[in-house]
This record gives sequence, C-alpha cells and structure tokens, in this order.
Amino acid sequence: MKSLSDTDVVPSVPAESKRTKRILRPLAPSTYLLRNLGKTIPLTTVIMLAVMLVAGIIALIDSIPYSIRTVYSYAKEHVGIAPRGDPNLLPGIVKDVKKHSPVPLERVIICHISGAVVKSIVGKWPFLALGLNQADMRYYAERQHTKSVTGRYPAKGQPEILISRQVARNLGYSIGSVVLKPDDIDNYSPIPVKVVGIAESDRWFMIDSIEFQLANYFPPIDDAMFFAKTPEDQRKLDDWAVKHFKGQRPMVFAYQEIEKNSKEMFQTLYQILNVVIGVLAIVITFMMGMLMNIYQSQRLVEFGLLQAVGYTKRQILNRVLLESFSVIVIGWLMGLVATFALLNIADRVLMQPKAFALDKLDSLAYSYTIPIPFCILIVATTTVILRFRKFDPVSIVERRLV
Amino acid sequence: MIQATGASLAYLDQGREFFACQGIDIEVKTNEFLGILGPSGSGKSSLLYLLSGLKTPTSGTILYNGTNLNELSDDDRSRLRLREFGFVFQQPYLLGYLTALENVLVATPWDPSPDTAMDLLEKLGLGHKSHRHPHELSGGERQRVCVARALRGSPKVIFADEPTAALDHKNGFGVVKLLNQLRGDGSLVMVTHDPSMLEEADRIVKLADGSLDNT
Repeated sequence: MKSLSDTDVVPSVPAESKRTKRILRPLAPSTYLLRNLGKTIPLTTVIMLAVMLVAGIIALIDSIPYSIRTVYSYAKEHVGIAPRGDPNLLPGIVKDVKKHSPVPLERVIICHISGAVVKSIVGKWPFLALGLNQADMRYYAERQHTKSVTGRYPAKGQPEILISRQVARNLGYSIGSVVLKPDDIDNYSPIPVKVVGIAESDRWFMIDSIEFQLANYFPPIDDAMFFAKTPEDQRKLDDWAVKHFKGQRPMVFAYQEIEKNSKEMFQTLYQILNVVIGVLAIVITFMMGMLMNIYQSQRLVEFGLLQAVGYTKRQILNRVLLESFSVIVIGWLMGLVATFALLNIADRVLMQPKAFALDKLDSLAYSYTIPIPFCILIVATTTVILRFRKFDPVSIVERRLV
Repeated sequence: MIQATGASLAYLDQGREFFACQGIDIEVKTNEFLGILGPSGSGKSSLLYLLSGLKTPTSGTILYNGTNLNELSDDDRSRLRLREFGFVFQQPYLLGYLTALENVLVATPWDPSPDTAMDLLEKLGLGHKSHRHPHELSGGERQRVCVARALRGSPKVIFADEPTAALDHKNGFGVVKLLNQLRGDGSLVMVTHDPSMLEEADRIVKLADGSLDNT
C-alpha cells in the first residue's frame, strides 16, 4: 500500500491514541444486542412479561390444590377410619386393621372429632378439631412435626384447644383467643373454647380434650387413627385400608385420597386453563413475531450492505436468527426469574400472613412457559426467512428500499 | 482480470423489457484505474453491479480470472466479493452501532486484528476518530471510513459507485485520490458522471443509454 504524501488532501493526523477500549467482534450477536439496548430491552421485556403472565396465572391457580395438600397434610401421618355413625363398629374395625395390616402399626388412637373451618384464597374449608387423651395429644403433636409448644396442652375435660402455628396465622388467633363458640355456626361449641397452646409446626391441626368432646358434642363422631412406623409403611397402610374397606360401611380418610380427589376436582379447571393459556400463547407469539419482523425490517440497510460487500444470505440469516434466539432466551430466562420474584412477593405480602400455600417453584407453572420461546422463535424464523428469500442487496445500495 | 462479453442486464417494467445495459464488451486489467463515465440513467451502476457479481447478466458473460460469474452460486459470488473485491457506494453506508474501526473490520471477518485497520484509518486521516460512531463523523469522514473498509484485506478489485455523489467537490476529489493512492496492486473501477473525478484514471470508458459510447 502506498502511504499518503505531504500534499495529500487529508492530512495525516496522529492517532488520538490506540485506545484500549474493548473491541467486540463487530458482527457478533452480542455486539448488536448490547449496543442497541433501546431496541433489545423492550423486546426482552415483552417476552419477560408474557412469561410472567402465564407462569403467574398458573402458579396462583395451582396454589388451590397445593393449599388443599398443605392444609390436610396432617393426614400423611395416619389413616383415619370412621364407623360412619355406628360407634359400635369401631372395636371391630380396630381389630380388623391390627390383624390384617400389611405393615407393623406404631400406634392406634381412638379420637372424637368436632368440625371447624379454616380460610383459603377461595373461601372457607372444613377442618377438624381432634379430641384426644393427654398421652395421645403429645404423640400426635410430635408426629405432626411439633418442635415446641408455646403455652400448654389442653387440660382434661376443659374447653381448651391447642392449635398449630399455621392455623393460628390463618385464623389470626393467639393464646386466649376463642376458637369454638356457641354463636359460630362454622366453629360451633356449646361452651366457648379458648386457645391455650400453639404448636410450632409446619402442619395444620387443632387438638382438644376427648373428655370435653364426649361431654359436650352429641352424638360424638368417632374415628380411629392408625399410625405406621415410617412414611413408606404409612403409604402402604393407606393403600391397603382404601382397598380393604372399599364397598363397606367404614369410611377411610387417607392422604392419597385427598391428593387424588383434589386432582380430579381441578381437572376441568386445568382443561379450561389449557385453552386460555394456549390462546394467550398464540396471541403473544404472533405479537412477538410481528415485533421481531419490524425489528429486523429496520435493519434492511445493514443486511443489504453486508450482502453487497460479500456476506452470504446464510451468514446474515444465521446471525439474525442467533440474535433473535438470544433475545428470546434472555427474555424467557428473565421471565422465569421475574416470576419467581413476583411469587415471592405475593407469597410474603398476600399468602404468608394468612398461612396460604403458594409454591414459588411450582414446576407446572414454569413448564407452561416453555412453548412461548419456541413459538416466538418459529414465527420469527419463518418471517425472517420469507423476508430474505427474495432480498436484493442492490435495492439497498441503490437506495430503492431505504 | 475481469472480462465482460456481450453483457446485458434487462428488467421487466410493466411487462416491457427494459435494458439497463446491453451487449457490453469491456475488460478490467490488473492494477488499472478504470473510469466509467456517463450521465444519470446511462447504466453505469448496472454495469458495475454486473462486473462485481452483485447482479448476473441476463445475457452475455462476466469472467473473473477465467471464472464465469454466472456459473457461481449466489453464496459463491458473495464469498468472491468478500475475499477479492472492495466496494464504495454512493452513500456512505456504515453500521451505526459500530465504531469507525469496527466498521472497517467488518470487511475481513477472517482477520479481526485491529492493527492494519488502524493503519488504514490513520492513512486516511481518521486515526484520531477510530472509536467514533458514524453519527459522530461528517459525511466526508464517513465516506473515508467506507474507503478504508473497501481497502481492508487488500482486495484485487475495488468497485466505487459514484463515491463522491454525497460529497462536495473538494471532499469528493479527496476520496478518489485516496482510493487511488491506497489501492496498492488492486484495480479500481469507478463509476461517475463527473469527468473531473477521473483525472487520475488510467482509462475511461463512456456509457450512454446502456451501451458503450465508442464515439
């Protein structure tokens, strides 16, 4: 190469400095995306919000069955069998289970039950106050993960109740609060029953004195609770009891049945939800596809120039698709993180104060967002390929398309 | 080096065939500065696109070092342009989000080293503005960055399509002078309607109504 002489039109100016500013690969997708944040951020934000919307709706809906499983998770520790109105059957049931149980039993508790309610995000749910004797109260509380008791256990025959921390938060009770009373149709007791202790546990339960229940509730509802030694054994015992008493008078309360029933209960809701989310995904996809198309259309001069100087259509297309892929994946990942943050806030502000259950890592909610990036990528790819099919760089350098 | 034989480029305009170039025989020799002169609409740019492989002739042939450009695939012609040719267009097209230096580097994706690109910018008087973006440069400076990009990688042929169109005469003349001085062993094919820009040309051909004017 010749160098300029002194008489050249443009004087040779010493370089300002060979600055050490980092030179990114000029045509790397990251270069364009990072230097055009005004365009990149809105696109990623829209995708992020779409992901948040879908995952947020699913997580909140899914919190209902999750709440059912949480509120009634005390049933994981035992299988309850009620003689369905005939207390005389109870000794026979106990004998039957003890004889035929497929696993060794750790304890059998005979209790009485009175009705109560707890609050949920969809209204009141039925709950139980278990009437137990003094020894069974302590065993039961321990089986329900109780680490300590603030206050004390209910005294024999007294209108007193022990509730778990979750129930206390849910109903806003503290020691001294009246839980069951004569004028409360949902939490009825002929004599006001006060909280004397709060069990520090992640489980939901209420226990009072069996003697109090026998003296004040007529007719008493009898129930036998069978405790296996391990969670695995408990599941086997539950399955066996459900099958063994099927078609017979005793009613079996097993955690698996609660799980099964809650799934069946929400099956139709989830089918409706699938349609709604599907429509939402289609709308979001087309909207994003069009946005991506506009985004790329604004760069026709760039693509025309690159093709004119010698970049192949395939190279340009690959670069565009890689950029689109990066934007979509970043938007999706940001959406997942934002959803997790949103659910954390919702949990802390709305759910936790009332002990409502919300799964912040609900895999179902996050899995519902997976089709979004794929659909957007497919639509974006198709529109870009169609645009490039008949793209003529000369129309750009001649300014016919600018 | 480049041999056009009977090269024509026809467009269909509302069903009628319109010839941008017709039956052109022309040769671009190694290391020469060939000027193509003609008024607006004479088919100068179309001829440049044919010679550089940006367009394929509707009839006739374009040979580059014996290779018929018509027989190359679209991708192969693109690769040939990237490796062998340099381009300066009427408008100083630069990528707005890249610095002057990075715009120059775009011409050689196989060689990302900035040193030779900096040397080029310095020779073009833009060393001190190498980290500026196009919107921070004047029109003349932008066109000089385009010249640097065209020269990057020492192309065998530089095609300049009215490179002075967007510049005043002084700046335009300066750009042509720089192109000619820095092209090294490469040929320069420049299209213009302004004869004064071809002062340094080794040979000038005239074009009128899509055909070579041999008068």
